[in-house]
Amino acid sequence: MLTLQILANGLVLGGLYACIAAGFSLVWGVLNVINILHGSFIVLGGYLAFFGYVKLGIHPFASILIATPLLFALGYAIQRALINRMIAAPVLLTLTLTFGLDLMLSNAMLAAFTADFRKLILEPPLGVATLGPVVMPVDRLVAMILALGLTGLLYLVLSRSRIGRAVVAVRMDREAAALMGVNVKSVYAVTFGLGALMAGASGPLLAMIFPISPLTGPVYLGKAFVICVLGGLGSVPGAMIGGLALGIVESFGTLWFGPEHATTLSFVLLIAILLLRPEGLLGRKGYA
Amino acid sequence: MKLNMLASALVAGALATGGAAAQELIRIGAPLPITGPLSPEAQKQQRGYDLWAETTNKAGGVNVGGRKMKVEIVYVDYQSNTPRAVQSAEKLITQDKVNFLFAPFGSGAAKAASSVSEKYQVPTIAATASSAQVYDQGYKFLFGTFTPNDTLTEPLADIVRKQAAGVQRVAILARNDLFPLAIAQEMEKSAKKRGMNVVYFERYAIGTLDHASALSQIKSQAPHWIFATGYTNDLVTMRKQMADQKIEAPLVTMIAAPAYQEWIDATGKLSENVTSAAWWHPAARYKGKDIFGTTENFLKTFRARYKSDPDYAEASAAAAGAIFQMAIEKAGTLDRQKVRDALAAMNEMTFWGPVKFGPTGQISSLEPPVFQIQKGKPTVIHPAPIRQSDLQLGVK
Repeated sequence: MLTLQILANGLVLGGLYACIAAGFSLVWGVLNVINILHGSFIVLGGYLAFFGYVKLGIHPFASILIATPLLFALGYAIQRALINRMIAAPVLLTLTLTFGLDLMLSNAMLAAFTADFRKLILEPPLGVATLGPVVMPVDRLVAMILALGLTGLLYLVLSRSRIGRAVVAVRMDREAAALMGVNVKSVYAVTFGLGALMAGASGPLLAMIFPISPLTGPVYLGKAFVICVLGGLGSVPGAMIGGLALGIVESFGTLWFGPEHATTLSFVLLIAILLLRPEGLLGRKGYA
Repeated sequence: MKLNMLASALVAGALATGGAAAQELIRIGAPLPITGPLSPEAQKQQRGYDLWAETTNKAGGVNVGGRKMKVEIVYVDYQSNTPRAVQSAEKLITQDKVNFLFAPFGSGAAKAASSVSEKYQVPTIAATASSAQVYDQGYKFLFGTFTPNDTLTEPLADIVRKQAAGVQRVAILARNDLFPLAIAQEMEKSAKKRGMNVVYFERYAIGTLDHASALSQIKSQAPHWIFATGYTNDLVTMRKQMADQKIEAPLVTMIAAPAYQEWIDATGKLSENVTSAAWWHPAARYKGKDIFGTTENFLKTFRARYKSDPDYAEASAAAAGAIFQMAIEKAGTLDRQKVRDALAAMNEMTFWGPVKFGPTGQISSLEPPVFQIQKGKPTVIHPAPIRQSDLQLGVK
């Protein structure tokens, strides 16, 4: 009984984790940029959903349609205006740049929204679904399905669309792609924009489940790191598998070793993967 | 950022004016985690200290042996880094030449910094340190406005034992952090002492995002009383996830979040009937002899200044200032030894409650209120003189 419930908990949590990590993994894999801003982008998406619901009555699911283009534009502009200028620099420098930008964004949010933890409370609530002995909150279920759907959509965009193929081509060989007439700078900006878009989509989903505050950005970022290493960098299915794996490991870790050691367990797993399979569960050279 | 700059400006201003101004001013050093993860707590402390300083200065200042002296709080940001808190305390004493000190935030940092104030014999009031271990070092210059942790769990366990005899199975889930864990351990003792059965006791790591699986385990134990500790974000998530899994119990106690309005706002209807305890509550009604006088007047002053209700951390910071003021006025001098003696001998009523420090320097006179969220409002159910309602059972 309990095992089934724990498995279900892990699966829905894993779906959310996949959504947190997909955009982060894309940017890291294609641009070789560790985007510290990712957590704050998610929080920004969360605030858009929160204020959209509280002030204008826009359902958080509908907010995704507002948050995604906005975040895409923000990401695109940041890459075009700032990161592209130092894209050839060592990874530590772009990391420092995004770290600085993150300080600015999270402090701006602190100034605008304060550090108070707020919660998007749906009225009426979506309730819970019961399946035999397993109880599942509907908001989490829907969020998981949407998260996996969005991640799948990203996969399709990358593998089917022209711009997606350009992103993958740049990821495989920048020079060759440039020689084939791909506008590398523009592809970089689109990629960073897509990463921000995924963060913008997860924000409203997470806002229904977790409290929103500028202080939660680093928590999401930490999860994204672990998931990327678990699943393999630069692979959308990798982010999905990594996310689900982390969700399930944390759930059963809680059951077997206590909640205190659930995080420890996930980091032990992380070190084991780094030692035994450094490319991650699904990591490979090409993207998508 | 803004606060940081403000703090730097204050410190720089204080340094620039130098010695001459220092004679006209009583300067109290306040090392605070103005940036970093504890920054929300530092903001609360600053609001309390500033309110006291502004109120006192508006009234002409502190009466030091017939001479009115204004007060100035000298802030230093220790960036949520405890070793730096100790350095900041030392810098405030040796370089900024403050007269007295407020301890840094929380039990851990207050204990670490107390050895510095003891070394220089600077009277220090800790506004947010409850653990008895902070005060048991035999120091003479450290005083604290929080009673020990068990004074929060014991009255609650008493009420439950008296009013709900059926409550036998207790589940405890604690944030693995200094205060939240200490209070959970006190709860375990209080429950066992009364013959209750602690069926679950686990701690979760700081930064835990999700509590679903721990809660599934708690549900499988069918507890009568769920006692969870943590801060606002932990306990907002936890309360929501309890509803997500249809976990119901006659009693749910959460410490420390329900003392904050933001927790009640963020949980909405789910906050109903959740119990908690804190060292002070705006519903308290004391008739103090300090600068703020009655609790009502303190509330009025606070609301006028900040457009919100004070919580116990903000009130404690303001109380720490008011207590210093009473001690200085009693001593009639800024002499550190004499002010220290006045603090040690103090036995006064304040808006914060009765203030008398025990032999270790920790307050011994205060009876912390137990309260329950009823109809969306925190309602005091203990102690008797300020009680507003009875304990209600059933959290859904």
